[in-house]
Amino acid sequence: MDGASILSLYHDRETGLWQTGPTFTEEHLRNIPSLESLLPGIVKHTRSLGAKSLGVVLHIADEFATAELNPGITNLDSLEELRAASQYDPSSILADTSIPADQASWRIMPYAADQRGPVGTAISLSRQYEPLLNAFRNIGEEENFPVITQALSAPLIVIQGLGQVLHPTAQRPFVVILQYPWFTAMAFFDERANLLLIRSLQHRGLRRPTNFRHALTTTTASLELIDPDLYVAQLGQVVDQTLLADLKLTFPNQRVEEVISIRHDELPAWAPEPLIAVTPPSETSALQSETFTSLREDKWATQDFLQPSREAKEVFPDQGEMRMLRALKYVRYGLFLAVFLAVVWCSMGIIQIIRQPEWSFNPQEAASTTMKVAKYSQEKKKIEYWENMLADRSKAWITMESLVRLFPEQSGIQVESFSYSARPEPAPGQVTVGFVKEWKINGLAREEALEFLNALNTREGIDAHFDQIAKVTGNEAYQTDIATRTLVVNIRTLENSSYKTDTSADIKDTGKNSFPYTFDLTITQRFDAKDPMAINSAKAP
Amino acid sequence: MYKQPIIFFGLILPLLAAVALISAVLYGKSEVEASFNEKSQHYAGFEMTTKAAMGLEKAVSQKRAHMERWQNGLSQESLSEVNKQWKTISATLPNKEIQLSAYDKTAGSTGLGGVSAQKSSQVRLAFRGTYRTMQKAFLDLESRMPQLQLQELKIDPSQNQSSLLNLQVTYTAWEN
Repeated sequence: MDGASILSLYHDRETGLWQTGPTFTEEHLRNIPSLESLLPGIVKHTRSLGAKSLGVVLHIADEFATAELNPGITNLDSLEELRAASQYDPSSILADTSIPADQASWRIMPYAADQRGPVGTAISLSRQYEPLLNAFRNIGEEENFPVITQALSAPLIVIQGLGQVLHPTAQRPFVVILQYPWFTAMAFFDERANLLLIRSLQHRGLRRPTNFRHALTTTTASLELIDPDLYVAQLGQVVDQTLLADLKLTFPNQRVEEVISIRHDELPAWAPEPLIAVTPPSETSALQSETFTSLREDKWATQDFLQPSREAKEVFPDQGEMRMLRALKYVRYGLFLAVFLAVVWCSMGIIQIIRQPEWSFNPQEAASTTMKVAKYSQEKKKIEYWENMLADRSKAWITMESLVRLFPEQSGIQVESFSYSARPEPAPGQVTVGFVKEWKINGLAREEALEFLNALNTREGIDAHFDQIAKVTGNEAYQTDIATRTLVVNIRTLENSSYKTDTSADIKDTGKNSFPYTFDLTITQRFDAKDPMAINSAKAP
Repeated sequence: MYKQPIIFFGLILPLLAAVALISAVLYGKSEVEASFNEKSQHYAGFEMTTKAAMGLEKAVSQKRAHMERWQNGLSQESLSEVNKQWKTISATLPNKEIQLSAYDKTAGSTGLGGVSAQKSSQVRLAFRGTYRTMQKAFLDLESRMPQLQLQELKIDPSQNQSSLLNLQVTYTAWEN
């Protein structure tokens, strides 16, 4: 707002887009209740654009006043203290103690540090727009939408922007003349582009200040600037368009130019301040000097002239806290993600576990199965016990089969008597007890049977007989290839004392006296306690 | 001014909540895993027991019929059972080729039964008969009464009838 017009724009900092803003009238600015219908709409529109907060930047271009600092202030190192003093105790830094300092808002603008003049100047703006900015902050509270405000001095913003567009003559001082509808500001720079002085001339209803040329000349002279370049910036729709031409006529030996204005689709050429304010000053700008470095780094041009009171400010988080809030939001996202992943991971693990058959296993089933095993084991033990006890370790029919097969027919042998016995071999403390089976056979033999008896009276001979019986009858007791058994045979052959050599017909072939030999055969089979057929010493389970 | 509350509510509290939640979830998972491990051990034992039970059941069921038959025989008094079976057996054999001439029983465990705590008795039998017929009779008797373990067998030729033999048999009979 420059007194003659009010320009309102929406700006999206993320996309860089500009839009035409709501229409403000002089009535809105002076009569705050008239804004009641306008402000909620602004918040609503801001929300509709997806913004999460609203920054209201007021470029004040209808007033600009400077005042000399107290001459006693010469130390540039104390600029930060001066900045604080200008906000909270302005009367302490002003040269003119008669100025009612508390009726305006004061800020410091430092000059170049060449010690040729004052360290800076105090710039004041009235508090006339304070209710307007309060109304914006209040609607933010009402709508629960973050609203921050900033009131900038438009000429200071333009001075900061000069660094990007101005190309003064080398080693020559220059003056920048900022034409606003209600005042003209002049910024004087030395040959190194350092700011020496800012002056403001009120138009007082005219198109230009009456004493403009005189003021320009005398100030240039007082600052000892020789033929400085003159740059004119027309910063209003209704500014004096003839000033540039007049200056060219008045100062023919000096470079007099218009500052190249901006070209933008939404912003008018006479209002570059909003664009300058959102464009960060570049370190590679055309003008490099202490002044522009200080403007860029210390942000002198963007000082808030109408900032909320300390008490009001303390209600809201500052920028650092907001940055912290935003950063912590991502930290919380990370935490949420970590928790979510942990929950998912654990849930997957638990689901995988629950799907296992082991999980749904009922221990009572195990108890019943264990009881079954115990029952079957007991039954099996009993069966095994009786299988042992009832094993065919000693059977009459097999014994008789063995005897028959021991002496085949027509073998020249006649059996006279046969006895068989089975007796245990007690061994105290043994679980199983071995036993001995003994066959005793007495008989008669002819000459031709001796060879057979001799063959039988060998280990191989008796083993072959037992193996044959085992094979024919399937009786395991006759198996000889088990290490826990021993088999011994003993045959004694004697001459038959009653043998008669007479072969007359009255002597029968089977008569005792027809056999030249007698024999007695003893077979002993021993089963030790580790033999599978050894007898259980315990009682049945 | 809001730095500490922001850090507390924005970082520390969510961090504590996250740590608590993750700890709770991990604790729950570890509890489930511990329970699962315990169940797994039981289950592994259960599976082994089940397999063992199935194996045992199969083995036992195959022999159960024999066992029942054995138990039935073992529960009978030995000598009377021998007599009973002998009558059945001898009925199928020629009378002239087999004759039971004497039988008696000695109670108490001697012979093969003397070394076992299991109850047994001695059954003595005397026969006259031909060799093969007697062998058949013994085969039949010992098949019917597997509890009979031959302790002694004596075979002598008969003095009167040359075709018949004298057989003296002593059995150890296991009893229940």
